[in-house]
Amino acid sequence: MGEHKEEMRDVTFRVLRFNPQVDNKPYFDDYTIPVEKGITVLRALNYIKEHVDPTVSFRAFCQAGICGSCGMRINGISKLGCTTQVWDELEKCKVPNVIKVEPLRNMPHIKDLIVDMDPMVEKMKKYSNWVESTMPESRMGEKEFLIAEEEFQEYDKATDCILCASCMSECSILRANKEYVAPAILLKSHRMNVDSRDGSHDRRMSELVKDHGVWDCTHCYRCQETCVKSIPIMDAIHGIREDAMVTRGAKDTSGARHAEAFMEDIAKKGKLVEATLPIRTNGIGWTLKNLLPMAFKMVMKRRTPPPPPFVKSSKGIKKFREEFSEMSGRVKGEQKDHKK
Amino acid sequence: MKPFDIVVVGGGGAGLYAAMEAMKTNPSLNIAVLSKVYPNRSHTSAAQGGANAALANKAKDDTVEMHVFDTIKGSDYLADQDAAEVLCSEAPKIIRELDNIGTPWSRMDDNTIAQRPFGGAGRPRCCYCADKTGHTILQTLYEQCLRKGVFFFNEYFVLSLSVDDSRMKGLIAMNMRTGKIEAFRARTVIFATGGYAKMYWNRSSNAAGNSGDGQAIAYRAGIPLKDMEFVQFHPTGLRKSGLLVTEGARGEGGYLINIKGERFMNRYAPEKMELGPRDLVSRSIETEILEGRGFDSPAGQYINLDLTHLGADLIKSRLPQIREMSMYFEGVDPIEEPIPIRPTAHYSMGGIDTDIYGRTPMDGVYAAGEAACVSVHGANRLGGNSLLEILVFGRIAGHTAAEEAGRFDPGEISRQELEASEHELREFMKPSGHYERYGALREELGQTLAVNVGIFREAPKIEKGIADVRELKERFRHVRVFDTSDVFNTNLIQVLELQNMLDLAETVALGAYAREESRGSHTRTDFPKRDDENWHKHTLCTWENGKAVLGEKPVTMGKYELQERTY
Repeated sequence: MGEHKEEMRDVTFRVLRFNPQVDNKPYFDDYTIPVEKGITVLRALNYIKEHVDPTVSFRAFCQAGICGSCGMRINGISKLGCTTQVWDELEKCKVPNVIKVEPLRNMPHIKDLIVDMDPMVEKMKKYSNWVESTMPESRMGEKEFLIAEEEFQEYDKATDCILCASCMSECSILRANKEYVAPAILLKSHRMNVDSRDGSHDRRMSELVKDHGVWDCTHCYRCQETCVKSIPIMDAIHGIREDAMVTRGAKDTSGARHAEAFMEDIAKKGKLVEATLPIRTNGIGWTLKNLLPMAFKMVMKRRTPPPPPFVKSSKGIKKFREEFSEMSGRVKGEQKDHKK
Repeated sequence: MKPFDIVVVGGGGAGLYAAMEAMKTNPSLNIAVLSKVYPNRSHTSAAQGGANAALANKAKDDTVEMHVFDTIKGSDYLADQDAAEVLCSEAPKIIRELDNIGTPWSRMDDNTIAQRPFGGAGRPRCCYCADKTGHTILQTLYEQCLRKGVFFFNEYFVLSLSVDDSRMKGLIAMNMRTGKIEAFRARTVIFATGGYAKMYWNRSSNAAGNSGDGQAIAYRAGIPLKDMEFVQFHPTGLRKSGLLVTEGARGEGGYLINIKGERFMNRYAPEKMELGPRDLVSRSIETEILEGRGFDSPAGQYINLDLTHLGADLIKSRLPQIREMSMYFEGVDPIEEPIPIRPTAHYSMGGIDTDIYGRTPMDGVYAAGEAACVSVHGANRLGGNSLLEILVFGRIAGHTAAEEAGRFDPGEISRQELEASEHELREFMKPSGHYERYGALREELGQTLAVNVGIFREAPKIEKGIADVRELKERFRHVRVFDTSDVFNTNLIQVLELQNMLDLAETVALGAYAREESRGSHTRTDFPKRDDENWHKHTLCTWENGKAVLGEKPVTMGKYELQERTY
């Protein structure tokens, strides 16, 4: 069967190393090993640990893409080591034939490729990422809830989440603010919110609309792009926002007002009216108190901001809105038919 | 540290259910869960297919009695019938309870919990969440434990049970983050550490850490292990990695095809075909391969699992994970091509000897799930009964421990004990002239077990297997841990796991050698028949002064008489 032999080549893995007991700061070690086509990055790391350097440390468990242990950054992108083919990564190397492997970002670093997952667990608790059943405990197990396909579809995809934290590692907000709720937690929160068995929507929502909550997201879509299970995380984030504004009347937060102001401007003018945005978001008092001193300071430092532009309505915006709403109505109808 | 009323070892389905139920039984108890991984990483997450329960949502005439009978017949009559009764009669309740607390079960058109056919079952009674059932159950249980405020010690590796004159005082464990050895004084301990089938290494579908830690710790503390020779080979592992293709793939209508293009199962189980019980299907595939009707490849011989006739829609909606895995690990899209498979060591029927309340023979020590052997699976487990077992008996063990915790006083764990433990670990790190590579030992262990104590067994082969395992144990004494750091020393953890696997491998091989009959997953080519007269009994393996001693225990019978097992 010699002729069937799989393609082999030498590949270098540039692995971030850090042992808090001896190292002041992280550094990279290069390991060049023979790799067969079809091998995953995790198997390559296992090979390095077994044959080259037993001190290389990383987490791994199921090796089948379901436990979420081996989240790591490979060539700069957060993903699972066990489902990432070395051959695919070779095409993405900055330095030819050198695959860079680093720990996930935005969580405390423990050692080599291992980061602390406790902050994620703490946030699951903070945002009640569980179903608090409407069924009293004493009556549990007696009968099942009846759940319609439409409801099931609302959260089916979200329950694919394996908490690998790749999205958290890529999240641009979490990078700036570690207290931010984080994409995976928002996804789970929304999954619970739309579950009719759950009776704690309101409590969860009241936490989600607070500081560091759902309104901090800037729609960079990095979480959704990176999700190893291809879950539309942004849908959940939008879902929570809609939920907050429409059904639960949580309009009295700066995030909600900010979003409303955007909506209003785009509908009316097709453009954003930035001049009045802070006032509409946070009120006149807040704006005078917080932004005016800043503007003053900027002037003093000769960094005078340009005067806010006068915004004229875009041509044809009204007609466009009409066509757009008709189109989106049709798409929604088709989606419904398709689900059936 | 204050003594705990209950320490649960293991954070998979059984451990979490035990913790949850214990809190429910007595909220004032001080309960901790120790796990070497974050609980949501546990191997429960990998269970794809589902959990059996006679809900009669799909087949209106399904009953608990039928489920009991299927389980006992599937076990080749080695299951204890009282245990099987408990398992099946609690099943509908536990499935509904999970539904009540948020498990996203797939639904039927009438909005009730969906059920599908599974191997060895007379009715379609396997409840599922697409092919991510275990994952969603584990998530649900973890969520509920967080909700209830269960105290978790994540990434703690348990080293030993602290015992004085057969009185359990608690546990000694290593905090993996700091490397510190810590004492956990406890009134009761529940082992829920999962299975030991990873000892077959590359020929196993299990997670890297399924090294049977709980069984090994209990065994070395003098608690007997039961029916260790019974290891289930799942018929459909991926050819290259041993990773699993769920039985759901056959439940949904997949075919097994040999190189001649035959659906060969018609020779072995003409009625049930691909949905015969696992042991039978595994043997059939292995026979096809041994008799030259398999496919050849550099990664070994294989058989095809063909799903192409099911159509893209069904595969995408019902078996998305399988499709993903086939593409990732075999480069095959099951919508277009058949999946190359061969049997893979998958599940350990044997484990810590417990009664139907989860009690082991040692006071204050309980076990549940794959770590335990009640026994509900006997010589062969039915698909969909393992998730069910961890739930039902996890819950029972939690309840029993909560009720009985008050009876036991936690003893003191001395400094010397901790220091001795630490010394043992440091010994592995001492430089010496000659040393063994643990990676090599691990691979050799898997190889000898697969060849000599695998699907087809016979005396000379098993003797070789026993000799090999003992030699490996000897060589293990020279294994060296090169990572000398305290923080997250995975090198050390893997060596300790290998030690556990080696101790258990000996009990598996010894049981296989003693049992001179063929029953369920245990097939002796030199004793091809089931021998009820001499072997309708459990084997027990007890550690006495460092030696494995075999004993036996009768099977609890009930209303079902011994019958020949045909499908």
